[in-house]
Amino acid sequence: MKPETESHAWRQLEDHAAACLPAGFASRVLSAARPPEARVWNELEAHAAAQLQAGFADRVLRAMRAAMPVQMPSVFSQFALSAATAALCLIAVVYVHDRSTRLENERNLASWQQVAMEAQDIDLSP
Amino acid sequence: MEGFNTASKNPATHGLIFRQAAQPCSRPDTSETAAPLADLVRRAQKGEEAAQRALILAYQRRVAGFIYAIAGRSDSIEDLAQTVFIKMVRGLERLHDPAQFEAWLFRLARNACIDYLRRQRLRRIFTPFIAEHTDIPEPPGAVDTEELDALRHALSRLRPADRALLALAQEGRSQAEMAKITGTSVVVIKARLHRARERLREYYQPHHET
Repeated sequence: MKPETESHAWRQLEDHAAACLPAGFASRVLSAARPPEARVWNELEAHAAAQLQAGFADRVLRAMRAAMPVQMPSVFSQFALSAATAALCLIAVVYVHDRSTRLENERNLASWQQVAMEAQDIDLSP
Repeated sequence: MEGFNTASKNPATHGLIFRQAAQPCSRPDTSETAAPLADLVRRAQKGEEAAQRALILAYQRRVAGFIYAIAGRSDSIEDLAQTVFIKMVRGLERLHDPAQFEAWLFRLARNACIDYLRRQRLRRIFTPFIAEHTDIPEPPGAVDTEELDALRHALSRLRPADRALLALAQEGRSQAEMAKITGTSVVVIKARLHRARERLREYYQPHHET
């Protein structure tokens, strides 16, 4: 093949390949390769900042003061409260246990007395 | 609209310029800016209200932008920003190193946004028809430019965690700080950030370029 013919063929191939690329190819490639510019991020920030109404800082401080939590109790007082609660629970448990045990004993004693009386009756009978 | 310029006129913030408006994405942390910031943080920690107000004024724009990038809704910016700044003022005394203030503030903001999105998801599960009432998309053009709309839509297609990472990167947080904020390693952050950027590039298509 002659050199002129060969270069002509290459040019034709290039032209054909270039024609296959869609319109706006360059900008599409560039937009895919580039991140959104700093300018757009800045626009986003400006838009967001515009949503804050005037006096925002004062409103925040007012809201904070309004929702200020009450003075937290000290560690000692929290511990004392926990200990008192635990002691009360323990006393209640001991009391209930003692009472139920005493009632159970009384019931058992009564039934044993009844059994003993019945046995005595049987012994006395001719 | 009060903003950073207002803050710089305030005696409490005189000479306090943490970030140049003309260079929104460069977050200088030189000794010139860090020194007054640390001083302001210390004063705010002592309960000085002027210093607390100055901190809010100085950071409200950046925090609002950060919140918008993650939450994606204009109508929740003010509420979330208020939550973040209330937490900031209340938690300031627990901040040991004033130099870590910015990283700490954006961690608060990131956590507030993630909590908000989680609550929204739970509300959708437990409240019928909530999606129809709350997921009303912002109409195209509600924001200023096509490019901003495109960025907003691209961000909305990313996972909240990826949006948070991109917003943190945009805020100039280092990968080590991002790892600390998100509780992962720097290697994981690198990989996730790379993937998030790739996706953002893929989804970011301003209309005039398509």
